[in-house]
Amino acid sequence: MKLHSERSRELLAKVMATPVRRKYFETLRRMLGPEGLISIREEQFFLVLAIAIGILAGFCVVLFRVAIGAARIWLLGSSMHPAWPRVVLVPAVTGLLIAVVAVRYFPRVRGSGVNQTKGALYIYDGYIGGGTAVGKFVLSALAIGSGQSLGPEDPALQIGAGVASALGRWLRLSKERLRMLAPVGAAAGVAAAFNAPITAVLFVIEEVIGRWTAGILGAVVLSAVSSVVVERWFLGDEPLFRVPLYRLDHAGELLAYAVLGVVGGAASVVFVKIIKYLRPWLRRQPQWSQYLQPAVAGMLIGFIAIWYPQVMGAGYEWMNLAMHNRFPWEVLGILAGLKLLATALSFATGTPGGLFAPVLFMGAMLGGFVATVEQQLFPAIAVPVGAYALVGMGALFAGILRAPMTSVFMILEVSGNYSIILPVMICNSISYLISRGFQEVPLFDLLSRQDGLDLPSLEEENEQAILRVEDAMHPTMGRALLGDEAIGAARGIAASTQETNFLVSLGEGRWSVLSRETLLDPGHDDGEQVRSLIRARVPRLYQDQSLDVALRFMKDRPLLPVVHRGNLDLLMGVVSVEDILRTYRKAGLAEPETAEVS
Amino acid sequence: MSEETANCTICRQPLGANGRCQHCDEDSHVWTIEDWRPLLTLALMIALGFSFTRLVVSSFDRRQSALSWEFYAAGNRAMDEGRYGQAAEDYESAVISSHGNAEFRMKLTDALADSGATSEALAQLHDFREQRPEDAQVNLKLARLKAKQQDVDSALRYYKDAIEGVWPDHSDPAPQKTAARMEAAQYLSSLGRKDEAEGVLLDVAAALPANSPEQGRLAALFLANGDGMRALSIYQAQLERNKNDAAALMGAANASFAAGSYATARRYLEEIKPESVESAALRAKLERMEALDPFAKGAMGGVRTGRTIRAFHLAMDRLAGCGVPFAQKMTGKGKSVAAGDAAQWGGFARWAEQLAPLMSEAKLRGKDDVIESTMRFAFQAEMAAQKDCGKPTLDDEALLMLARERLGAGQ
Repeated sequence: MKLHSERSRELLAKVMATPVRRKYFETLRRMLGPEGLISIREEQFFLVLAIAIGILAGFCVVLFRVAIGAARIWLLGSSMHPAWPRVVLVPAVTGLLIAVVAVRYFPRVRGSGVNQTKGALYIYDGYIGGGTAVGKFVLSALAIGSGQSLGPEDPALQIGAGVASALGRWLRLSKERLRMLAPVGAAAGVAAAFNAPITAVLFVIEEVIGRWTAGILGAVVLSAVSSVVVERWFLGDEPLFRVPLYRLDHAGELLAYAVLGVVGGAASVVFVKIIKYLRPWLRRQPQWSQYLQPAVAGMLIGFIAIWYPQVMGAGYEWMNLAMHNRFPWEVLGILAGLKLLATALSFATGTPGGLFAPVLFMGAMLGGFVATVEQQLFPAIAVPVGAYALVGMGALFAGILRAPMTSVFMILEVSGNYSIILPVMICNSISYLISRGFQEVPLFDLLSRQDGLDLPSLEEENEQAILRVEDAMHPTMGRALLGDEAIGAARGIAASTQETNFLVSLGEGRWSVLSRETLLDPGHDDGEQVRSLIRARVPRLYQDQSLDVALRFMKDRPLLPVVHRGNLDLLMGVVSVEDILRTYRKAGLAEPETAEVS
Repeated sequence: MSEETANCTICRQPLGANGRCQHCDEDSHVWTIEDWRPLLTLALMIALGFSFTRLVVSSFDRRQSALSWEFYAAGNRAMDEGRYGQAAEDYESAVISSHGNAEFRMKLTDALADSGATSEALAQLHDFREQRPEDAQVNLKLARLKAKQQDVDSALRYYKDAIEGVWPDHSDPAPQKTAARMEAAQYLSSLGRKDEAEGVLLDVAAALPANSPEQGRLAALFLANGDGMRALSIYQAQLERNKNDAAALMGAANASFAAGSYATARRYLEEIKPESVESAALRAKLERMEALDPFAKGAMGGVRTGRTIRAFHLAMDRLAGCGVPFAQKMTGKGKSVAAGDAAQWGGFARWAEQLAPLMSEAKLRGKDDVIESTMRFAFQAEMAAQKDCGKPTLDDEALLMLARERLGAGQ
């Protein structure tokens, strides 16, 4: 232990005054030293750090939710039905204030926060400024609390990532580690905001990381779980939704659910198209109008809220009511439509806040609407409104956010009911396919591209053709040489072919390559073993490995053996750099600049 | 040498004399005691963050709590005024403001159930039950809602769980368990599952102290379940302790009446001072029965024959109402079309034709066998008409009760 000051030395001397104390101190020092019991490697420290990030992000999100609640009470009052002058004026005035602060001081806090976090991960080496996180916290709380039709989850994601980034920089972590921390914090933020760790982990993988990677999965899970623990500690473990009991009585009911999938898919396309055209149009307007846009959106939402206050804010309490058949069909339909409009207005104007909750709201209302209409049209079919509302949430989530895995697991996690899995999967798949059919680019990727960023997308990555070793390898002309055979015999084989390089099997799955020159070198007797010519081994490949891997192993080697996974000495073929390049050329993969830019 | 080269690029610690970092091995950084300092600082940050968050959340919770109690009071007022929808809304706000206070949520379930939002009330209760499966109060509410939905199996299962469950808010749960048992018995009785109800009531009777104020309710449940004798014995035990107990006297009178002991019932009724509406109604019923009973104590001579003739005419009126042509012709009233079994009405018509000529005081005097036959005719006609000919008059009811007494309840 390094103790620099004089005072510290004196203290150490006092501590070490007796042999017993010295012994204990030395033991402690050994335990904490490089070889000690408690010394940990950086990877292990990263996991500890993930827990710490989860806890700290949990605190921030708890405070964020309290801030939203306080802002709601302060700005709109405590009643579920505020007085109309407040409903109209508060979102407008607050919107103006938010716009001024956001445009002048925190330009990066506008919007949801998901694509900004993804941008931080892929472009800025995981850097998210402290000011951005603070701005997001304050402005999103004000926006949601004042009734803008936005939710807390996406901002919580950016706040969590901001906490992680700040912590990583303070600990002076390497650039690589710092980049990995952003999704760790993001998962913690969403998990605490939505009170659902599995959903958070999947959402971050699908929407932030944008690719399946096992490297940081452990850290992401740890941070999500620890933040949920913190959130439940402070805010209680009451579930987000009081989900009614559900049972699928007859497989025929799935057809009725399919209708919801179609309606959900259509609604998703409408919403994304509105955002696609409205957001750039609003951005093209003069600079001064940027200050007014959130205010105008707030005022329009306020006018809607005079008759339908449910459209304001995240609206979780109303989703619960819809789930329990508390609204007639026409109100459910109107609420779904108005929420779509209100959310599009709030979001397209750049008001800070998320899409997660409004999408669920639209889904719940639309699900309830389809259920109540089906009940009237087909009284013989069992149409539980609660289950439809829940499934509707998943359908809109799959259609708008295009995170199919998250959309399924989210419903399972919030409902705790596995009977609902079939309707959810059917509905989500239909909605997802319709959304893809009519809108090629997923919403968050669309937003990134509108912002001039081209970030990796899980959906696009999944669609790319993967070239494998088997696509490039070619069979050997003759047999491979054996390490134990005589050089003379090997020279005989070489004389019968035109090959310039020969693979040598050394047994037990070990391989090497010999050039014709080396083999024919007169400095070696014919009686010597081929093994005596070997200077280095080469890695083996398998047919199912990707060509990217093969290319990485290739280095300056002329060729590599492709062997059978069940018999490592069995040569299936060989692959060379030329083979790999020829295969890439032949596949004609789309190049990045040819991808659609909206 | 620049500072960058003197420090490790991974952990930024100074390099050793050999140019290698003492904290790093070949592959990755090893955290040593030097590096625990930021970790300790991190722990301190977490502690501070925890304290700060706790401070803010408690302060907000206090504010929310005050608000939630306001909503709760508003909900209670709305419930009292029968505005269940508004009450549910207020309780909902109270629940939201209080992060799910259990008491508020229980009230919310009541308001939801009363406002017709049964599915939401059930969802709330199921949620409660998942957290506290043994909570008797939750199970009891679930049982009531399931009974309302006519889901008999679930209702009975929840009643059972309520009886066997725990009452966390009560130091002595016995009265609550007794009440739950009685409610379950009442439900079983309403379903017509009399034997099961009787079993539950016997369990209650075995466990209930003799001086319990619930004895009266228990006796009433026995009575409602058709066990007048057991009810009577409970009322009698109550009267032994307090012979002026008006409720017990009334109960005993009802039980005696149900058991067919009209004289005993009359005796208990006479004890009730002052007379209540209920006792007056029972007394009137008894008197009406007595006025039709030719075999009652003290009914001799002209009184006996007069009562017989009156019973015959009542039965004929009833048969006329059933569309029996002979009765219609004789009484000059009634429907033209016979309801129910025509052969049965034919039998009654023939029987009436035989009796009709004998219906005079002179012809009946001293003819107890004819009186007997006439009364049997009247009883059977009333019982047959009860099935097919609509609501009986008060006198018909009295005659029916007499019939049950004389012919037995099974007929």
